[in-house]
Amino acid sequence: MAMQVGWLDHLAKALETSARTKKPVLLDFYNPQ
Amino acid sequence: MGAVTYPDKAVIDFVDYNFIPVQIQVTDAALMQKYNVSWTPTILVLDADGQEHYRSVGFLAPGEFIAALQVGKGRYYLDTEQFPEARAMFEEAISQNPDANAVPEAIFFRGVTRYKHTHDPKPLREAYDILTAKYPASDWTKRAEPYKLIPA
Repeated sequence: MAMQVGWLDHLAKALETSARTKKPVLLDFYNPQ
Repeated sequence: MGAVTYPDKAVIDFVDYNFIPVQIQVTDAALMQKYNVSWTPTILVLDADGQEHYRSVGFLAPGEFIAALQVGKGRYYLDTEQFPEARAMFEEAISQNPDANAVPEAIFFRGVTRYKHTHDPKPLREAYDILTAKYPASDWTKRAEPYKLIPA
């Protein structure tokens, strides 16, 4: 089992994967500070 | 979110199973502006065209986060007219996290989904009755008030 969420860091890649898998994108805007 | 919610195993499993997750830093001004984001954490559910279907702003503990995203995925299915899938997500939110703040919204949109799928208005009245009985102070109960005019 994964120990952390498998976050991507490029929206375009996420959208492309969404189109292929039919899963929606979860987009998290975050402040690393 | 990064310290409490995202390390939670149930959250990890739920997000990875149900979504394509992507994190964007607030320094990406173009995307912040595109999606009208002015505060963090802000979480959006998007379709493959980048269109927004659900938004949550502010911290959510793990159970609340999962329930909110069950509603968010349900809203995505509802907007894209995948009605059985939408209903299943709202049912999950209602049954798996009955004390979560997102449950009244799930009950409201379960009624909407059933109506849009069948064109029978009774599920809207059922949603109003359940919300009135169980969540009288909820904003979603107030939004459902017109449905009391539908014969039970």
